Amino acid sequence: MTALVKIDAVEKRFGDFVAVRCMNLSIDQGEFVAIMGPSGCGKTTTLRILAGLEQPTSGKILIGGRVMNDVSAHQRDTPMVWQSLALFPFLNVRENVEFGLKMRRVAVQERSRRAIDWLERMEIADLAGRMVDTLSGGQRQRVALARALVTEPQLLLLDEPLSALDAHLVIRMQGVLNRLQRELGITFIYVTHSQSEAFAMADRVVIMNNGGIAQVGSPRDIYRTPANRFVAEFVGRNNILTGNATVGGIDTAVGLVKTTHSVTTGSAVTLVIAADQIAISRKPAPGAVETKLISEEFVGSVVTLFLEAGDGTEFKVQLQERALAELDIHSGGSFHLTWPDNIAHILPISPS
Amino acid sequence: MNRFALAFRLPIIVWQILFFLGPLIFMVAMSFFLVKNYRMVEAFELKNWVKMMTRGYVWDSYWLTLALATLTTVAASLAAFPAAFYLAFRTSESLRRWVIFLLIIPFFTSYLVRTFSWYVILAESGVINGILGWLGLGPYIMLNTMFGTIVGYLTLTLPLVVILQTVSLANIDMRLVQAAQNLGCSSARTLWTVILPLSRTGLMIAALFCFILAFGDFVAPYYLGGSKPPTLPILIIDTTKSGQQWPRAAVVAVMMMVTLFAIAFTTIVLAYRKRTSK
Repeated sequence: MTALVKIDAVEKRFGDFVAVRCMNLSIDQGEFVAIMGPSGCGKTTTLRILAGLEQPTSGKILIGGRVMNDVSAHQRDTPMVWQSLALFPFLNVRENVEFGLKMRRVAVQERSRRAIDWLERMEIADLAGRMVDTLSGGQRQRVALARALVTEPQLLLLDEPLSALDAHLVIRMQGVLNRLQRELGITFIYVTHSQSEAFAMADRVVIMNNGGIAQVGSPRDIYRTPANRFVAEFVGRNNILTGNATVGGIDTAVGLVKTTHSVTTGSAVTLVIAADQIAISRKPAPGAVETKLISEEFVGSVVTLFLEAGDGTEFKVQLQERALAELDIHSGGSFHLTWPDNIAHILPISPS
Repeated sequence: MNRFALAFRLPIIVWQILFFLGPLIFMVAMSFFLVKNYRMVEAFELKNWVKMMTRGYVWDSYWLTLALATLTTVAASLAAFPAAFYLAFRTSESLRRWVIFLLIIPFFTSYLVRTFSWYVILAESGVINGILGWLGLGPYIMLNTMFGTIVGYLTLTLPLVVILQTVSLANIDMRLVQAAQNLGCSSARTLWTVILPLSRTGLMIAALFCFILAFGDFVAPYYLGGSKPPTLPILIIDTTKSGQQWPRAAVVAVMMMVTLFAIAFTTIVLAYRKRTSK
């Protein structure tokens, strides 16, 4: 596979504010990359730099091996699906889809045919004559996708395209997007703040924080082995413990935690234990952490319990809803938490 | 409607009836009155209408006024657009606010005073001819010409047209302009493909205001245009003066009202028309 997009030491400042700092990223042809992070982390700015709507303060952007810094937005083949969709309200559905072709001076009949083809592909051909303000959210989404893809680009940029949709439509559109990306074999760069969207669709996830890349990896890598404390806290439900490495394990506020990882004795370390890796029981066990229940969060089949140890350390434990019955959580009393020695993930860098 | 709502609405309703609807009805009625021995007599005769409608000079005046107002509207809209475009898209919001404030300042002064100040500039021995004389050109006669009339109309309308156009352009969702660029539309081309369609309503309303102001103005054609040939407002003044012909002047006024009503109605319908789904 060859790199389609190369972001080479790109930095973007707005006055004193650094929106993107020294970013290096290479994206392959046909890859589905999600850029994820909290708002203000620079993910949308990165996308806009790729589209040529912002100029990087320094660094280079390469697409298909060509340096794009001096290529203006309208000369790049980098269509974008906007968070607001940005459909033209004065044009009907077909004319919206045709827009990119019209700008490329494709003949009237040819562009009409291609627009209708795409509307059929998105299963909205019957809406061709409708004005966009008469469409539902899901229908508009499909028009926006057809409009961006009609010129058959190598690269599609998506800026939180599903954030305005109802939950059930999000799942459906995720399916549509995944199918499209695999069928077309083109590169998708998908900006989102939603972990479920990123993890469900992307081959590779880029986590950004404060304008920089915090971690790049497969969804599984990022979930199981966060590279630093920010990623550990941002992604999923992780329990984070800090302590000092001693001979028998790691000395933390909740006692000695055993680990199979090799750590230098005396060094300060951060432990990450995923919430779904912790076993919870009513019965005391050697080495278990004794906690009280604070609250619970019920999301369909999965339940997250928030617990507190004697010293105030908080724990999150995730378990199946049907496993709740035997715990009898509402009768008070203690809960004992254990986890396998080889599960606690040790962060390579000290806590920030 | 409860009593309070009625109490609040009553003054405006009474005001409108007393000072707008009443005089308007009276004016229409007056166009059927007669003048005998320089005195107006209540009547219901079509004489005034027949007389005014069959006079060539009335229609000459009508078409002249329509043409001058249209020309002013086109000139003001075209002249204002680059300024409005610059203010809306190329300046910061705070600078834009200041410039709009500056554009309102002319309205502090009487329009009559502003019109008179053109004398100094346009007269045969005025500023422009002075400069042209230096270069060995002119003098050009600019006062008491149609050119003078149009300069006067523009003095009245241009600041307003710039303000209205700026506001409608500044309200454009820039994401749509960027979306067009993202789809291969050059910056220059976005003017036709996105900016004009999105600001159509505001631009048309600005033009309508300009037309209404110019069509009904008598100051510019009177002081800068020298009343020759007369526009409809000048014709109204002349008619009232010659033999107390208020009823005939009312005929001209009704002609103007009907024309403005038709143009305003059509423009507003076109400005707000939305394309419908098929």
